[in-house]
Amino acid sequence: MIELPLGLIITSVLGSILAGFTCSTMGTFVVRMNLSSIGYCMSHAAFAGAAFGLMISADPMIGALIFSFIAAFALGPIAEKAKLQSNIVIGFLFSLMIALAFIFLNYVPGQSANAKALRILWGSILSVGLNDVLLLGLLSFILIVFIVIFYKELASVMFNRKMAEASGINTKFFYFAVLFLTGIAVSLSLRIVGGLLVFALIINPTSTAYQFFFDFKKIIIVSPIIGVLSCLVGYYLSLLSDFPIGASIVIISALFFAISIVISPKRKKSKQC
Amino acid sequence: MNETIIELKNINTIYEGEKIPVIKDISLSIKTGEFVSIIGPNGAGKTTLLETINGLLDYTGGKGYVYGKEIKKNKNHIRKNIGFLIQNFEIDPLAPFLCKDVVMMGRNGKTGLLRFHNKKDWDKVWYSMGLVGMIDFANRPIGKLSGGEFQKILMARVLTQQPNIFLLDEPLSNLDYSSRHQIETLLNRLHEKHNLTILMVSHDLSFIPDRCKRIIVLDKGKIVMDGAKKNIMESDEIKYIFNKKGVK
Repeated sequence: MIELPLGLIITSVLGSILAGFTCSTMGTFVVRMNLSSIGYCMSHAAFAGAAFGLMISADPMIGALIFSFIAAFALGPIAEKAKLQSNIVIGFLFSLMIALAFIFLNYVPGQSANAKALRILWGSILSVGLNDVLLLGLLSFILIVFIVIFYKELASVMFNRKMAEASGINTKFFYFAVLFLTGIAVSLSLRIVGGLLVFALIINPTSTAYQFFFDFKKIIIVSPIIGVLSCLVGYYLSLLSDFPIGASIVIISALFFAISIVISPKRKKSKQC
Repeated sequence: MNETIIELKNINTIYEGEKIPVIKDISLSIKTGEFVSIIGPNGAGKTTLLETINGLLDYTGGKGYVYGKEIKKNKNHIRKNIGFLIQNFEIDPLAPFLCKDVVMMGRNGKTGLLRFHNKKDWDKVWYSMGLVGMIDFANRPIGKLSGGEFQKILMARVLTQQPNIFLLDEPLSNLDYSSRHQIETLLNRLHEKHNLTILMVSHDLSFIPDRCKRIIVLDKGKIVMDGAKKNIMESDEIKYIFNKKGVK
């Protein structure tokens, strides 16, 4: 088993819990809106940002955050303006960000710089700092408040956007807010699980919760619990086995999903869910 | 004497990116408590007309008023006070929503931001579900219902909103005869009991509820007939419009 300093253990465990919470909370909306590829998009926006940071000799992490914030902020309005499904715009942004990343990397001298930018895509438990934990903590608090206060509006939009709009709800605001907060959750979780694997943390816990409930309220409560559990068990597995933390979390969350498919009460005809 | 609750003056509605209006020069006046059927063949502009009244689509010419307020400038207020049943709503069978929660969504716009549902809201949900005979379905997943059951739940959702105006877009489509009859009976009952103003779109002449006394016929985006049900149903023109389109 790997031995780590106590301070690092505390920050990394807290980081894992909060990353699991934020990603799988927003996953509830992402799965309902069929926007699973948002994880790819944000991670590559972060990759492009990191490359930009290196190009101008700044901190690549700050560049990563700025780019993914911009992508998160632009996603909804572009989809609305272009009259396209959000998934199409995600594909557009995804390819644009990869192209930008390669252009920026072209102007960064040395191979080590490329490795630094790529690190954004993999994530590392050792890179988790107190600032990351505080930011994720703040985001978790914002998410809880946002969901509790606006649950009824969010549920209406998730059921059917047009019907929600017809009954007098400002659907555009809530739709954009969900996309934006998802982008932020992904951006802030990058250091821990990595840009590529954060995708699994958004999809797997919610997909697991879907196997048990037909009630959106229950899914929105259970999904983050599964997300946090996946992170904690994955973290422990990573320490035990020396597997990368992101990969361990993904394996555990995938395992939870596989088990849920087998034991799902939705497939048992004699029982009620 | 009943007041005018909906008034459209020379309304044109054009979809974004298009040049030809879907509805053209529409002028009509609906009084409180009227039950009006808007009929016409597919593509006549019936849904566009309802969505224009509800403010979901902006009119590009003319003026529209609901409750005496201009639609364009008061969209949110108007929508909160109009019950709108949208057309051919298809539900994902795995949608994670219970029937009672879908019915409660009818209250959400009216309840307003920063307010949670209370017992009064739930009482309205149970009352509406009772009216449509769906109380026993309260805890059933919405995606598991049949077409008729689902339509009744959507009707309960509109009722929970407690609007004075109902805009119903093809409420009887995709239903079997028995379900159609149930919804039709319900509409008659609601209209009689609550003095609601109902605008119901249909492309099927065989299902016009008894309480409906006025019919507006749309064709190619224009009002071609507007009058008493009896006169319209017996006219040769209506038979011509529908027969040429091959609609029953």
